[in-house]
Amino acid sequence: MKNLKENFYENYFNPFFSHIYVERSVRNHVRTQAILAKFPSAKVIEINHYKDVFCRSRQSCQLQHRTQKLILAARQGTLLYEGAPVCQSFDNPYFYYTSCVMNCIFDCEYCYLKGMYPSANIVVFVNLEDIFAEVAQKLENHSLYLCVSYDTDLLAMEPITGYVREWHDFAARHENLKIEIRTKCANKTFFQGIAPLSRIIYAFTLSPQAVIEAFEHHTPSLTERLSCAAELTQKGCMVRLCFDPMIYIPDWKQHYQEMLEQVFSSINMKKIVDVSVGTFRISQDYLKNMRKREPESAVIWFPFQKENGYCHYPDDLMEQMESFLIEELEQKISREKIFRWRT
Amino acid sequence: MVYIFTALYCEAHIFIRQFNLVKNQECTWYQEFYNETAGIRLVITGVGEIAAAAVVSSVCSIYRPTPNDQLFNIGICAHTTKNEGIFLCNKIIEKTTNKTFYPDMLYRHPFNEGTIVTGMLPWITDHDNTQITEPSSTDKLYDMEAAAIYQAGIHFFDPHQMIFLKIVSDRGVLEDVSKEQTSLLMEKYQQSIFDHIELLSTISLKSRNDKYHLCKENEQLIETFCADLHCTKAMKDSMRQIIQYLTLSGIDYISIIQNMYEQKLLPCKDKKEGKQRFEEFKRKFL
Repeated sequence: MKNLKENFYENYFNPFFSHIYVERSVRNHVRTQAILAKFPSAKVIEINHYKDVFCRSRQSCQLQHRTQKLILAARQGTLLYEGAPVCQSFDNPYFYYTSCVMNCIFDCEYCYLKGMYPSANIVVFVNLEDIFAEVAQKLENHSLYLCVSYDTDLLAMEPITGYVREWHDFAARHENLKIEIRTKCANKTFFQGIAPLSRIIYAFTLSPQAVIEAFEHHTPSLTERLSCAAELTQKGCMVRLCFDPMIYIPDWKQHYQEMLEQVFSSINMKKIVDVSVGTFRISQDYLKNMRKREPESAVIWFPFQKENGYCHYPDDLMEQMESFLIEELEQKISREKIFRWRT
Repeated sequence: MVYIFTALYCEAHIFIRQFNLVKNQECTWYQEFYNETAGIRLVITGVGEIAAAAVVSSVCSIYRPTPNDQLFNIGICAHTTKNEGIFLCNKIIEKTTNKTFYPDMLYRHPFNEGTIVTGMLPWITDHDNTQITEPSSTDKLYDMEAAAIYQAGIHFFDPHQMIFLKIVSDRGVLEDVSKEQTSLLMEKYQQSIFDHIELLSTISLKSRNDKYHLCKENEQLIETFCADLHCTKAMKDSMRQIIQYLTLSGIDYISIIQNMYEQKLLPCKDKKEGKQRFEEFKRKFL
């Protein structure tokens, strides 16, 4: 017991996914079985509905992020959502998003998920076939631009779920479907077994290394993300670079300048599909939740400007930051390929 | 502070002895023992859901637990297939309502884990002998307080602050459980229980946030600064938020404020001047 106790002091949190909560209805689902097989030591706890665990009151997301649990469930009700006003459509007419996973293994202090969800545990909806069916139904009427990695980082979850591959295969069978997979991941090995598909856009969120170190916990470095993005462009995959959200830090201009220099030296910008630019903005309600849960996070305690239920940097700072980045980007990529977020 | 709730005195005895707990003589409705230095308060709730919920609510209403406190429910229970063992509960079912509760399982521990069912009556195999033939995957613990303590406790504690440790005393045979046997069982597992309590107390202390507390320390400075700026309620709220941001960002705003005093820019003569100085202060950082 004594030795064990000493070890506890070194690392007293349970390992990630030490416990897996499984909805009774999906206990025998093939994807449930596949995921459980990857965690033979995990304690499996049967539940009636994922909300019984995920939506408990008074959860500490901060502590849960140190030892996230997995919840395997069936998605019911609405499976596809129209794109939110704070998200960019990239001029696509039928802009939708879907959540086959809720929450993220990365721990970015400014992430809206921390204000949106009552828990830091990760819900994986194993009935992907139902989402596919609804997408297929929509595709019968019109084309679709679908973001599948908004409420999670699907690529970071790939070793656990295999969902990016499944979406890839699904998109390959539906010509009027365009998918965006947003990520901060640098999982090169995944792409070794994937053939480039022009209707799947891998969107890499990029930040200066100083921002990554301060606020984007457990995420790959800028160098790693760029290396992965560069390899994908060489392979012929569609790559989007997202300088969104831009995060204010003292000396932001210098940090973003250095980041761009690294981007331009690592990536052939001519091969990039497009880029998005936008400073941090968030729903007022989410920000309120985040400040309550993370009283010591500098990035979310910035004195934002409130406007129509959303919070953003003061107009002049927002303008300075976005204009600076766009001017720099215009030297390497045509203006039509730069999408600036505006409501 | 660690709040320990047991149903019986024979379950509490090991803690009273180990932590030199003193009886609170002012408390006549239930037995309460404490040691402020050790940070332990132990209460004997009595048997059953209603007694447990009533006492937990009463104790928590009086002492108002903080986010750094812990609730421990420790006691004996029955098990469907095992005669002994100590279990940390990861799932609590209230038999009457079928409501289920899930304490967070954040920390490493040396115990087995299990599901506990809380009933209004002791679980006796003769009365419910279908349970005993269930396969081991549905092994369950049975007690008479855990679900009630969770439901009362959740008004005062977060799910990760509540720990339910149960020691198996029998397989649903009431005659097997005597006070003496209960005391012996508690003693058998006492070291692992004490170690776990000590560990969680240490974690609580370590997880306190210094930066946030630093902010509290500057309350007086902010009060004076706002008063000298003739801040309205809205300006004061805004100032608090800015100070919070500056503190967390490690920006030295105190010397800026002191400098304003040295330059005789403060105190301001009226609200109009105060508003102007307030804007100047903000512009220095953003």
